[in-house]
Amino acid sequence: MCSDHNVTRREFLKKTAIASAGAFLAPTILPSGRLFAATRARKANHVVFCLFAGGVRQLESVQMADGNMMRWTLNGSAPITPDIAPGMSPLPLPAGLALQNYGTLFKEFRYNNGPTGHVSGHHTAITGVYNSNDLNINLPPTSPTIFEFYRKHNTPTMSALNAWWISDSLGPYPALNFSSDSNYGALYGANYIQPATLLSQTGYNVLGNPKVFTTAEKAAVAGIRSILDKNFGHSYAGGDAGIVNSDIDRSSLETYISSSFNDAVAGLYADPWGVGASVMNNDMNNLFIAEKILQQFKPELLVVNMQGVDVCHFNFTNYCDNLRKADYALAHLWNTIQSTPGLANDTILIACPEHGRNASSNTVMDAYGRYAVDHTGEQMSREIFCLVLGPPAVVKQNQLITSVSGESIDVAPTIADILGFYPDIPSQYTGNMGSPLAQAFV
Amino acid sequence: MKKFFYCTLFFSLAVFTSCKKDTNYVYGVNDVNVSQPGISKPNVKSTIEFISIAYSDLFGTTISASDLTDLSLCYLAFGDKKFIEDLIIRNFLNKPGVIIPTQASMMSDVPAFVQATYRKFYNRDPNEFEKWQVVNYINTTSNITPELVYYSFMTSDEYRYY
Repeated sequence: MCSDHNVTRREFLKKTAIASAGAFLAPTILPSGRLFAATRARKANHVVFCLFAGGVRQLESVQMADGNMMRWTLNGSAPITPDIAPGMSPLPLPAGLALQNYGTLFKEFRYNNGPTGHVSGHHTAITGVYNSNDLNINLPPTSPTIFEFYRKHNTPTMSALNAWWISDSLGPYPALNFSSDSNYGALYGANYIQPATLLSQTGYNVLGNPKVFTTAEKAAVAGIRSILDKNFGHSYAGGDAGIVNSDIDRSSLETYISSSFNDAVAGLYADPWGVGASVMNNDMNNLFIAEKILQQFKPELLVVNMQGVDVCHFNFTNYCDNLRKADYALAHLWNTIQSTPGLANDTILIACPEHGRNASSNTVMDAYGRYAVDHTGEQMSREIFCLVLGPPAVVKQNQLITSVSGESIDVAPTIADILGFYPDIPSQYTGNMGSPLAQAFV
Repeated sequence: MKKFFYCTLFFSLAVFTSCKKDTNYVYGVNDVNVSQPGISKPNVKSTIEFISIAYSDLFGTTISASDLTDLSLCYLAFGDKKFIEDLIIRNFLNKPGVIIPTQASMMSDVPAFVQATYRKFYNRDPNEFEKWQVVNYINTTSNITPELVYYSFMTSDEYRYY
């Protein structure tokens, strides 16, 4: 026996213990180049951020100047002002506690900088960075979105099916699922869908009957396409081609969209909540699809918006009615989360308008004698609320913060903090963002 | 003497005309990027261009304004563009009226079919290597059809550029 390898039992055990400890303590070099995976423990495994958008004024929401328009969300039974009450749609009354009891309500949140416009407000909410006045609404944000931070700074890197952006309308909103930042971009973007257009009779008419190929035929196509693509100088990818799903994920998406087409043309989307087809508006339909996607894919990060209240530019009473519908839709979303295995008690829901509205009215009067209201930068159009709901062990329950606290730019860092990757976002980006809303959490 | 003169003259001519100083010629060559004519396509087709060209390529006629609008909006309404483009093409392929050569026609002259397909979808001729690759693939793959070849071209990277 070699004398060099002749160790005692004590020495053997000592060296084994040191080697084992080293294996556990030594940093792991990840493919991204970081030393460690997400370093902070997650508060929850799912975040749903509902942009309660379109411009909601504090007067009609948390201040209840015309009664409690948000009875599903806010405590209080103040009746709606009699002059506009006839303009309200019939909606179910809340059966249990208002949502604010299941979390923390920042009653005096602020959108402190940038134009008080919808797109600018959406950019800020999704990136955590205030925009300058030269925002080009036709281009993606220049700062990375929360989707990109989430997908890049997670281990293993999350598939796009784990991140969704669902908007109520087209225009500039499809461009918010990834940024033009060279360190992030489409590779880390979220799946995007605008259900009102795609999952409709029109969508079915033009896209609902695709040719289906067998596995062997798909293999044959892949063979030819491989030859063609190798002989071409450009790869159709990145920003031009939008985000990228894997072939398996695309198959799941096609199954989901095909099923949704069938449901839409069968009339199942006309009144899915049983409140009356004439009551369902685009906000409610958008949140209904968000619920379907949550149930189908159980994404870790989903952002959805509503903007029906923006009718306030020319119809104040209709604005109040749409505020009630948005309130009902938010509660429906929360209840769906709580009744979905895998999401219940493991999801944090954040709801926040993108900006408020002016204190002063414009000159357009509605049928009930109320003047309409714009959002043109008056101080009141920067005053909003923010609601953070979640499991009692994570989110402080029934907490009302009445002092001026928290800003729009804090939402994205808060999401990053909940999902455990906030410390992994490079300081060059966090330096421009707000901070996690620590007050809301246990 | 005369003999000496001729010998001297011959010797002198031989010395002064047989050796000549070499001239070094240096030939310069400029760098040239070699590319297939017509393959330089730096621009991505717009959504409307992609949809309307694809329709025309398959149906030999112009897409209706309403269909173009509906498809363009649906295109915008989903984030994975390759996914939605694939869906658009497969819906076109499933519509009545689509113009695709028969299997017999393709197999009767595969090189001519490949040449015509390149011209139809890429607006260029294939180079000899490209042509050989695709012809060989068609000839050696049992279940290949003209429809699958068309589908491959229309969902390839080059089809998205001009």
